Amino acid sequence: MMTVFWILSLLLAAQGRGGPAQSTASQRPPQTVTPQTYPAEQIKAGETRFSAQCGFCHGRDAAGGETGPDLTRSVLVAQDVRGDKILSVVRSGRQDKGMPPFDMSDADLNAIVAYIHDQKTKGEGLGGGRRNVDVSDLQTGNADAGRQYFNGAGGCAKCHSATGDLAGLATRFQGLTLMERMLYPTNGRPAPAPAKVTVTLPAGEVVKGSLVSRDEFTITLKDDAGMNRSWPVSDVKYTVDDPLKAHYDQLSKYTDDDMHNIYAYLQTLK
Amino acid sequence: MRLVLGIGLLVAGAMAVVAQGVDPAMLLKPPVDSWPTYHGDYSGEHHSKLSQITPANVGQLTQVWKAQLTAGIKATPILVNGVLYVSSPDNLWAIDARTAKQLWHYTYPMNDAFHIGHRGVAVYKDAVYLTTPDAHLVALNAKDGTVKWNVVIADSHKGYWSTNAPLVVGNHMLVGVSGDFDNLPGQLKSIDPDTGKTQWIFYSTPPAGVVSDPPSGGATGGQMWITGTYDPVLNLVYVGTGNPTPVLNGQMRPGDNKWTCSIVALNPDTGKLAWGFQASPHDTHDWDAAEVPVLVDANFNGAPRKMLMQASRNGYFFVLDRTNGKSLLTAPFAAVNWAKGIDSEGHPIPNPDKEPARDGRLIAPNESGGTNYRSPSFDARTGLFIVSAQDAYSLYFFKPEDGTYGWAGADYSLTGKAFLRAIDYQTGKIKWSHELGDGASGAGVLSTETGITFTGDVPGNAIAVRTSDGVTLWHAGIGKVGNSPISYQLDGKQIVLFGGGNSLYAFALP
Repeated sequence: MMTVFWILSLLLAAQGRGGPAQSTASQRPPQTVTPQTYPAEQIKAGETRFSAQCGFCHGRDAAGGETGPDLTRSVLVAQDVRGDKILSVVRSGRQDKGMPPFDMSDADLNAIVAYIHDQKTKGEGLGGGRRNVDVSDLQTGNADAGRQYFNGAGGCAKCHSATGDLAGLATRFQGLTLMERMLYPTNGRPAPAPAKVTVTLPAGEVVKGSLVSRDEFTITLKDDAGMNRSWPVSDVKYTVDDPLKAHYDQLSKYTDDDMHNIYAYLQTLK
Repeated sequence: MRLVLGIGLLVAGAMAVVAQGVDPAMLLKPPVDSWPTYHGDYSGEHHSKLSQITPANVGQLTQVWKAQLTAGIKATPILVNGVLYVSSPDNLWAIDARTAKQLWHYTYPMNDAFHIGHRGVAVYKDAVYLTTPDAHLVALNAKDGTVKWNVVIADSHKGYWSTNAPLVVGNHMLVGVSGDFDNLPGQLKSIDPDTGKTQWIFYSTPPAGVVSDPPSGGATGGQMWITGTYDPVLNLVYVGTGNPTPVLNGQMRPGDNKWTCSIVALNPDTGKLAWGFQASPHDTHDWDAAEVPVLVDANFNGAPRKMLMQASRNGYFFVLDRTNGKSLLTAPFAAVNWAKGIDSEGHPIPNPDKEPARDGRLIAPNESGGTNYRSPSFDARTGLFIVSAQDAYSLYFFKPEDGTYGWAGADYSLTGKAFLRAIDYQTGKIKWSHELGDGASGAGVLSTETGITFTGDVPGNAIAVRTSDGVTLWHAGIGKVGNSPISYQLDGKQIVLFGGGNSLYAFALP
């Protein structure tokens, strides 16, 4: 099937899943904090607009589509009251996750909010959920083997420590969110540490900071004073130390057993 | 529409003329002042024979005009008689190619089908043809954008939609559809461009109640949503087919699931299958083989061959003998970990352990694939097939509770890196790989006879590289290029045209 080029994983992220070792049947989506109702005609109008503009990625029923997550299980949707959280996401997009901004009338946007909430209410009534990954699905690994991989072949211990930066990890993240962050930590919060950049200017001055952006023509960093500075790469010399590079390189090395074992080990870091 | 005129060309108002002259003979030999079909010609090489812009002067390339439209442009424009036709879902614009003036803008009525992208339009005689999100084909008068007729291609209420740029062959207009969220047979329709009447339908998977030969194993899907190519001597049309449905649940559809994820050769007069080649037998990762089947006549292992080449979404590059569909070469061009090897007939052998599973499988490429709809190019001088590729990883899940309908599973892309890659078609080896940034580029590729290759990177530059080694020669920070660049020569000036954001950007030498 056709795919838009800006695909990148989770939107309205898959957070807030239940604790480990729960059965599938006990998994419940996050409950709506503030129950709200909408006129039937607004929900109907929202269904039309949602299907046309959002349905490809999030599914016509808002329960997940080609690239976007199940909105009926979204924490953000659960906490939303009449669009106070959803609307800013729709208007601004989530460029880092591949969601473009949408320029629609207030009437259309509010109708979409009405439809999402209505679908969520229906989903809660049904219980469970489809196209979903439960914590209980991910319990096939061996934690001892995972610990050995962490300290050995995986190279994880070169940057991470079970008693240091990862202490209590499993109390902060569970399930799919933990697995995704383990493999490539861009989702959720806290955000991973940005790459460090060192730029040497023609006169010899050295500027250090966090990477903001780069392409083959320009390098941009945020310096220690918090200011973004940018240079043509033809005018300067620079190096980038990106801690995520090791995560990317490891993706071509993991076996599926490695992945499940290390996940099992990380689950023990409470 | 707002119009922004850049420095340079300001040719006084050449008025639009009726798009006469687009007939089967013209399409066999497109003039230099045109780009009359989605691929520019029937070969799909996406290679311009124009020679004004060279590696020595491309660094001087300057923006001639910018035409700002009201929706994102992923479509490849068509140029006929000095008029550019470009589309987005529900929209078709006619733009004077000399002045960038909007001549007309057609808006299709609001509808609730998917508005996710649009590949482009077709022109034939005095009409322009637009597919719509709700799977209609609309014929418009080229002179003013008024509707001539509007026919249904497929039933959008069942879940079909269309983004397709139709392919005109003789008096046949071949139109494809999409439809992944429902279990629908794959269909390609031939429509009479004069009357809108259906001439034939090719099914890549059987309609309900029909037993196909070979059997599909219970699979539906195999939609043909990218424009095919055509060999007028063999009188065969080549089209790539999409993934089977249900998408991630392979258990309920055993076997290869023909003809999903395949390249099929069809007689354009009858729609009969001449041969098929399956790029992904029993796909469970949404990897359409819909990508452009590029037709190349050249030597292979010292002997002249009529070939078909495809860089497929599953991460493999295929070279076939297009007279019979037999494999000449299969080689990966992007990160892949899902196959156990290549069989004696050139098909990757899927590893059952890499099918989506309850506890997740780490898969390369990701769902958007080693490449996707963006056009590749073929440069005969260097023998290089150049593709906008991606090394990317996903987690794939399936459990019986996900069911047997539509997506029937879940997948989550982790990350990826984009590259422009040049493949030696005789060995499958990557001659060079030019980094395009993190993620995937949406830009297609255009090579030229003088040895330049144009595309776009992920951060937001249109770029030109030397075809022989991939070294950058020029760039312009116009934002992310969302379509496949094209080139033509108008009034003695070679233009390179990119789509970025809501705009078209025309570049030429000063």
